[in-house]
Amino acid sequence: MSRDTDPVVNNARREAVIIGLAWLASTVYSCGYCYLFGYIRTGRPLGPDDVHPVLGMPSWFFWGVIFPWGVCSVFTFWFAGWFMADDDLGTDHTPELEQDIREGGLHE
Amino acid sequence: MNKAAAIHAQPPTMIALVLFTLISLALGVIANFAGRKGSFLEKYFLGNRSLGPFAVALTAAVMSGGTFMGFPSLVYTFGWIVGLWIASYMIAPLTVLGALGKRIGQLSRKTGAVTLPDFFRERFGSPSLGLLTSILVMFFLCTNLVAQFSAGARIMKIVLPSSTAEWVFTDDIIASSDTSYLIGLAIFTLTVVAYTTYGGFLAAIWTDVFQSIIMAVGVMLLLPLALKASGGLHHATLMGMAQTDPGFAFGPGALRSFHPITLAISFFFMWAITGMGQPSTMVRLMAFRDSRTLRYSIIYLTIYNAIVYIPLIFIFVAARSILPNLGSSDDVMPSLVITLANPYVAGLILAAPYGAVLSTVSGWLLIISSGLVHDLYQRFIRPTASEREIAWASYTATIAVGLIVAIVAMHPPDYLQLIVVFSSSGMAAAFLMPGLLGSFWRRMTATGAIAAMISGVLVTVGLYIIGKFGPDALGLGGILPDTTDIGPAKGLRPYYLFGFDPCVWGLLASLIAGIVGSLLSRPPDPARVALLFDLQPPDAPAPATLDLHPELKSS
Repeated sequence: MSRDTDPVVNNARREAVIIGLAWLASTVYSCGYCYLFGYIRTGRPLGPDDVHPVLGMPSWFFWGVIFPWGVCSVFTFWFAGWFMADDDLGTDHTPELEQDIREGGLHE
Repeated sequence: MNKAAAIHAQPPTMIALVLFTLISLALGVIANFAGRKGSFLEKYFLGNRSLGPFAVALTAAVMSGGTFMGFPSLVYTFGWIVGLWIASYMIAPLTVLGALGKRIGQLSRKTGAVTLPDFFRERFGSPSLGLLTSILVMFFLCTNLVAQFSAGARIMKIVLPSSTAEWVFTDDIIASSDTSYLIGLAIFTLTVVAYTTYGGFLAAIWTDVFQSIIMAVGVMLLLPLALKASGGLHHATLMGMAQTDPGFAFGPGALRSFHPITLAISFFFMWAITGMGQPSTMVRLMAFRDSRTLRYSIIYLTIYNAIVYIPLIFIFVAARSILPNLGSSDDVMPSLVITLANPYVAGLILAAPYGAVLSTVSGWLLIISSGLVHDLYQRFIRPTASEREIAWASYTATIAVGLIVAIVAMHPPDYLQLIVVFSSSGMAAAFLMPGLLGSFWRRMTATGAIAAMISGVLVTVGLYIIGKFGPDALGLGGILPDTTDIGPAKGLRPYYLFGFDPCVWGLLASLIAGIVGSLLSRPPDPARVALLFDLQPPDAPAPATLDLHPELKSS
């Protein structure tokens, strides 16, 4: 049997790593921005004058949630639309497995 | 009169729900005729791996009864911070479908797996692992199903005319029990069991797609009405702050520390990462047609999430201005719909959560019945069962599970959304790391997978037990500080270790146990690993065939 790694495995692994990094970036940015500019915490009381609406939303919400949501959507369109490989997922062995289950049962 | 209670007087709402139910039943019938080719098991439980991008995207939208009932209540109660609670949906289409989709799709074809226990059993060559997977799937999904049946019955109870109980029960029975709920439960159970049993996987998928479209249409209709009636988002924000406190416009939320930053980080794990480990998601990743389908479904889901979840936040912030100081925030969705929309549009929108519950339940019923029939009955009791026998066993199992869950749901549990979060965390802690490591790491072994499953579940359930009874009651008061001041105020509350949700700790424990367990156990069979990781000739056998015929290893 060949020892060459299946290209589907290599492609899927590379894509999974990039997706993991994108998740990490979105988590760090969103949580970091919202905490810095949108959280009431000790020594930083916030009130109606601190809302600074952007399109009616509190500014921290616009820049910490809506803006990265837009960036992630654009990235996703590029990633899924152009970057991901169209790999052949191979032959479906379901009938073979069903036969194996029956054959295995007959041997017991 | 409570506005939600006024729904009783709205016949158009009931007409919409009856139509919805009839369409669901019709979809079951059509689905039964649609998938005639292929083996019964692959058709009934996996739709012949024929799902297109639209179906994969909309059925992976992770919606259940809570999406349109519990989520609006949270926004109305705690304010803008709930937007951060759901913010990981910005990246969830990529993580949930993209990270594991291709490998799970490929491995399930290479092994011939049609269920999740099949998948793990064949990937690692371990019947024990398959059995453990079956037991865990059934435990968590049954817990969740009781809550979902209860939600379906509650919606039906709201919509049915208040005089319905008088047609069916005597005055004595009406006085002694919640007969409207029982009638709602009976109608819901009959509907969902009938079309799921008859239509199988495709019926569940098509109903899911149908309700997702209805839900999106409902949100699109409601958004302009709510924005106009509220006087704008900024006005609604100021109203919310006046009715609660400044936390309505900021973190960690109004009135209590609902979403401290540690929970905000946790919920980027909760939706975007734990979503990858749900049995319902993994089954869909085994059922999509090809890689192109996967790519397009990611794009469609990204669009869908943006046009449904962001507007939902706007709508229910605006509700603070339209319906100030509601007695029960759980009523905010039906109350707002009745206030803003004409009765027929209200009926259409109120049908959406009912459809969400229906489709969620039908998908889970099939996962449980496939576990009973394929992974227990066929694998351990009757391997030589004929296709006809398997078919009848599947129909019987689907009906039996539905009826048993309905009987348990006659005593409805509270706090649906928190039960959903508990079981989602538990299933992710059990299945994500074995799936992730098993897809990309050759050295992963069955022992490692079993260790990962057990550790993840024990840590998650353990933190819920500590949360339920409190550290003091368990003699841990001196070690673990109190965390009752963060997260939801009531219901199935876990213990938030260092402020993080149990899903984070469950996943971490599962990852460590999976790696350590694999490295400490004997390396896996190189021939099986080669079949699943290396380039193979077109006539390469499935791993199960290799087990039966070891002589094939040398060919």
